[in-house]
Amino acid sequence: MLAVGDSTELEIIFDTKAVKGKASKSPSISTNEGPPVKNVRINADVIERPDSTYPIIIDPYKLDLSQFSEKVIDEKEFTITNVSDQPVELTIVSMPRGLFDLKLPDSIKPGKKAKGKLELRKEAYTESIEKSVTIEVSGPDSQTKTRFTLPVKRSLKMAEATPPPKPQSKPKGTP
Amino acid sequence: MNGKRFAMCAAVLALASVGTSHAAPRMVIPESTFDFGFVPQHSVVSHVFWLMSEGDDTLKILNVNPG
Repeated sequence: MLAVGDSTELEIIFDTKAVKGKASKSPSISTNEGPPVKNVRINADVIERPDSTYPIIIDPYKLDLSQFSEKVIDEKEFTITNVSDQPVELTIVSMPRGLFDLKLPDSIKPGKKAKGKLELRKEAYTESIEKSVTIEVSGPDSQTKTRFTLPVKRSLKMAEATPPPKPQSKPKGTP
Repeated sequence: MNGKRFAMCAAVLALASVGTSHAAPRMVIPESTFDFGFVPQHSVVSHVFWLMSEGDDTLKILNVNPG
C-alpha cells in the first residue's frame, strides 16, 4: 500500500540464460487504479562473446566478488579497452544503492586501455549479491551512445570455522 | 410556489453532484523503460524502477506479472 505522495521501488531481474541478440521484457503491474495495467519495459542485447563488443571491450565482463574463506573479497578490477578510432567518455547510468562504488575513467583515448574498479561497501560484506551496473559510452560528438551492463555477483560460502587441534598432553612421568 | 422551489433545489443538487469527483489512486512510473545495452549470456542483471502514488487515494499494488 502506498499513501498519496509515497513511492516504492520495483526491481526487475533479468536472467539472460542462453538468449542471443536483442531481448525485451515487459512486466505488468496491476493496482487498485483499475485497468489498463501499466507496464515497465527492459531492453537488452545479449552477447555470446564479451570480447566482441564495440566501441569498448570490458574484461572481465562479469564481476565476481564471491568469497569462500574468511578473507574479505571487497574489490574487483577490470580493464576497459577502447577499440574504436575515436575517444570515448564513460558515465554510470544505473547502479544499486548502498552496496558498492564504481570507479571509472572519465574518458579513454582510441586504442588505449584503462582500469575500472568495483569496491564493495562494508555494509555489504555479509550479503550475497546478484546485481548489475550499467555504464554508457559516448563518442566525441555525444550523439552515439552505447550501453554496457556488467553483472555483479557475490556468493558467501565460507567454511565453518573449525576449532584448532588440542595440544597433545604429555604422558605422566615423562620429562 | 413550493413546486418551483423544489425544482430549483433539485437542480442545485444535480449540479453539485456533477462537480464532485471520487478520490482515486493513480500510479506514475517516471521512467518506465530501461535499456541495459550489451549484456553477457548466462548472467543476471537487474534494474530498479520507481513507482509513485500520485492520485488522491491510497495506491495498492495488487500483482506484478513478469511478462
